[in-house]
Amino acid sequence: MLPPFWTLVEAHGDELLAHARKLAGDDAEDVLQDALLRALRAYPRLRHAEHLRAWLYRVTTTAAIDHHRRRRPEVATAEPPATVAVDDDYDDFEGLIAPLNETARTALRLRFVDDLDYDGIAARLGCSTVAARQRVSTAVRTLRESFA
Amino acid sequence: MTPLPESLLESVAAAAVREGLADAIFTRLDTPLGRLLVVEGPDGIVRIAFPGEPEDRALAEVAAALGPNLIGSDTQLHAERDALSAYLEGATATLDLPVDLRLTAAPFRRTVLERLRDVPRGQTVSYGELALRAGNPRAARAVGTACARNPVPIVVPCHRVLPGTGKLGNYGGGPERKRALLELEGAYFS
Repeated sequence: MLPPFWTLVEAHGDELLAHARKLAGDDAEDVLQDALLRALRAYPRLRHAEHLRAWLYRVTTTAAIDHHRRRRPEVATAEPPATVAVDDDYDDFEGLIAPLNETARTALRLRFVDDLDYDGIAARLGCSTVAARQRVSTAVRTLRESFA
Repeated sequence: MTPLPESLLESVAAAAVREGLADAIFTRLDTPLGRLLVVEGPDGIVRIAFPGEPEDRALAEVAAALGPNLIGSDTQLHAERDALSAYLEGATATLDLPVDLRLTAAPFRRTVLERLRDVPRGQTVSYGELALRAGNPRAARAVGTACARNPVPIVVPCHRVLPGTGKLGNYGGGPERKRALLELEGAYFS
């Protein structure tokens, strides 16, 4: 039996906001609001009532990743930007990916900060497009798990 | 730890209601009877709990019947809060809120609570008389159970049911709250 959703929010909301702040800085409240709505949409379909706190952390992490994606929308450019704009958002992003190894961090920067498509990432890393896609998705998955 | 701002919670609640994600909404309301837990489903108030009742149990009971997406919000239940406060503070004489009795599964108990809604403010009824009105004059004891387990006290006025002796009798929220409600309503009891 799933506990009433709001009892989870009341029990873990504080720490989820702190978590969102680590991942998204000043946008933490937007991220957490988005995360709680996502959680509400999925909650009635959860199969069991275990690890709900960890699940909420995962949903919040995913919401933060998507938030960063939205902030850096995909732009079709022939020439990838040579330098990375340093701003608050970038600092948040670096904080978000800090737990990963250098390979994973590079893949995520190329994808979400430089806005490269997988062909572009492949060209920069000197690997195949499939391998580039794999590196990014592995990095995203590792990131989710590291916050779970 | 950063405190969770009320505005964030209310935004989530508003968006959840807009999207149709909420199975029920609850609020905590400070009244002369103490802090009440008020839970509303799509068809009306399903549960009111007095301070003595474990809140998590009351919420779990609602979640089991209506679904797990319970949302806390004062804003979404603002009209219900105002109506209850006004009534319990004596500012208005009517309490006309929609009630959903689905937490009372037993048909006879549900009939008892429906008949009870017809007992007006300022009047009382005995357990035996209410049994008669519910269609089973011999079931005064079952009427007592129905009242004791009334999921929506105050709005479904089980405080207006008195023993045949005319004394105050029992009340789920405690006899002192029953007395307070009857005094508020100007009902006579010995």
